Amino acid sequence: MANQENRTLIVIFYLCIGVFALICLAPFVLAVSGSLSTEAKLAAEGYSFLPRSITLDTYKFMFDSKAEQIIQAYVVSVAVTVIGTASAVLVTTAYAYVITAKGFRYRNFFAFLAYFTMLFSGGTLPWYILSTKYYHLDDTLAGLFVPYLLNVFLMYLQANYFKSIPHEVIESAQIDGAGHFRIFFRIMLPLGQVGLVTISLFYALQFWNDFYLSLMLISDERLYTIQYMMYFMMANIQYLASGNSAQIGGAVVAPPLETAKMAMTCLTVLPIAILYPFLQRYFVRGIIVGSVKG
Amino acid sequence: MSKKRVWAVLFLATTLLLSACSKGESGAATENATGENNESAGSGLKPAKLKIVLYGDESARMKELAKTEFKDIVKKEINAEVEFQFIPWTEYGGGKTDLMLSTGEDFATYTDTNYMVKSVAKGLYADLTPYMDSAAADMKKTVDEHSFKAFQLGGKQYAVPVGNKPNSGEFYSVLVRQDLLEEVGMSGVSSLTELEQFYEKALAAHPELVGYASTDARRLLMYEYTDKNLYWQNDFLALDESAQDDKIISWFESEEFKAYTQIMRSWYERAIIPKYAATNTPQLQSDWNSGKAMFWAGTAARPFEGAATISQAVPDAKLTNYFLSKDLPKISRGTYSTAWFVSASAADPERYVMFFNLLQKNQELYDLFAYGIQDKDYTVDENGRLTRLTTDALIPDWLMMNKNFMRFDKSVPDDFIEQYKAWDDEAVISKGAGFNFDNTPVKNEETKMGGVFSEFLAPIASGFLDYDENFPRALEKLKAAGFDKYIAEYQKQFSEWYAAK
Repeated sequence: MANQENRTLIVIFYLCIGVFALICLAPFVLAVSGSLSTEAKLAAEGYSFLPRSITLDTYKFMFDSKAEQIIQAYVVSVAVTVIGTASAVLVTTAYAYVITAKGFRYRNFFAFLAYFTMLFSGGTLPWYILSTKYYHLDDTLAGLFVPYLLNVFLMYLQANYFKSIPHEVIESAQIDGAGHFRIFFRIMLPLGQVGLVTISLFYALQFWNDFYLSLMLISDERLYTIQYMMYFMMANIQYLASGNSAQIGGAVVAPPLETAKMAMTCLTVLPIAILYPFLQRYFVRGIIVGSVKG
Repeated sequence: MSKKRVWAVLFLATTLLLSACSKGESGAATENATGENNESAGSGLKPAKLKIVLYGDESARMKELAKTEFKDIVKKEINAEVEFQFIPWTEYGGGKTDLMLSTGEDFATYTDTNYMVKSVAKGLYADLTPYMDSAAADMKKTVDEHSFKAFQLGGKQYAVPVGNKPNSGEFYSVLVRQDLLEEVGMSGVSSLTELEQFYEKALAAHPELVGYASTDARRLLMYEYTDKNLYWQNDFLALDESAQDDKIISWFESEEFKAYTQIMRSWYERAIIPKYAATNTPQLQSDWNSGKAMFWAGTAARPFEGAATISQAVPDAKLTNYFLSKDLPKISRGTYSTAWFVSASAADPERYVMFFNLLQKNQELYDLFAYGIQDKDYTVDENGRLTRLTTDALIPDWLMMNKNFMRFDKSVPDDFIEQYKAWDDEAVISKGAGFNFDNTPVKNEETKMGGVFSEFLAPIASGFLDYDENFPRALEKLKAAGFDKYIAEYQKQFSEWYAAK
């Protein structure tokens, strides 16, 4: 009886999840099918779930005209994601360790310092001046990840993992003569592994999806990321369609083709879509483990 | 142990990379600096560096030319190294442009009068007056005089107009898909009734089409709902060009607005303006571009500019401008496309002006910047008609457009070119042309009014909401935002300026 009930419940849940998943999937399917349709068909009949008269023309067109740029942008995006994630995780965990280290007198002050930036920020202009005039991050690869090296929220997340490690472990290491460096690398990081994976994934996603740093700091197109190329394209069409362009003498600029937009979307989403199923379990596990232990 | 090693290596790698990045940067900078010093000027001018910011996508061909021919010719003519930077359109008149101005970068880009007034108040534009006579001498002959005045504040030139094209009656005509019109057995459109007839007939033949591909028709419908010749200063205020006075009309409070909303309401109810327009305005432009709409607001150039876009989806599309009902003089704001400003921190503003001058100096240079290299990017036949061999945009067409130099392609009929060139012949320069409102005293009011406009007034104006039901509340909100103070200030400044003129 109970078994029967459970089964019904499970079926219902699966149905709900299934429907929800379909809703989430729909736009993506539309984008893929749009990118595989011909422009004329798309204009005449609109979007559909199955491509109308399948063609790879759009991709061919994009790779013909922009192949070099797209590949270059991919390389930059991958480099930024890998280097950025590695450095960000290092900086974040180190900071988290410092503010959780029991023997460190000023840890509360540093914790507050980080927390303060969550509540108040200097605003875009000072940030821009600092990045360009003092740190000279404009038009450098470093400019694409250095500003994001410390995400305070993720730092606190990691700090909580560290806090959940029994202090006795650290104490005994100290008695055995281990310094902070050794404790950090040999005890805290291995024990806080789950948290490490979680924040790495968050960082990786953030770096992959970011276009803001490129927009602000990059003018050399060799350093464009794939997301920025995408943003560039979308921003142009949105602006031109908004009617603001009337202010500048009714500029009529041919917008990018619908199919090209869709193809570009697929190109940016694809790597993440392929990787995600393999990585997603770490997200869930990371968050659940933290909640039980904490 | 191995984990420790991994981390140590990672750390080292990161540090190395970071230092490599910064070194690379400074290394390149010094190289440039020395390179520049070595090159001695051939033309008597000191070498200079110019950075021109343009909005939109940079085409592959533009990239190539920017590094070769464009660079060489600018170097030769005015001994300057020019660099073009393309940024997204969303950064126009704000965003990154603002940041670059505020942080004192050395660059030039284009502007409109609104953005100019705001930026000049903050001291962000260089005063170009001293260079106009010497550095802009050639373009003064090819660009209309009124255009220069439009970008003066307090007698000082803050931006240099570019372009010289028939601009009058912008959006006052209906741009009709002539191919559809002829298909349903009509030859022209001369009134609202005929326009609506066209819609019904075309809809019967093509149910998938929408009527009007925009949410604003106050200009093209003006001839239907009033005898005045209204010319809008902004979303809120208008001038009556047929009256010889300095009176500012509050558009939303006028009877004309009420009459206008009634037409728009009926358009919306009859789906001449598609239902999704209320929530998805950008779609309208896409619809127009893909040939899914029957008519749009016209300008002198749109029949051939727009046809180029639509013909990608509908190869035989033809576009024609019609004015509804009355024959009132067309009003012009000036013939410029836009205007260049130079950032206040620019090292050599004069050289920038010299560069702007090059763009509109003579046919040869115009051809180069707008169309590229002859026989490689374009050919010109014996009638002077242009055939472009590449579709890549260079310095944007719309920006350069100067009727003294521009070339038409073979598909544009002769009579159309004649019509186009004569478009401005009987036009009148707006009595408000050259007036630039200083919004400092009513800045807060203006911001609040902007909110009321998009939330309450625009939906009524576009016919999405009923006037009688919704207008009283919207007006109340507008007044609460300080509209009375705003219009009083505007009227005061305008009267003073008008009297002085």
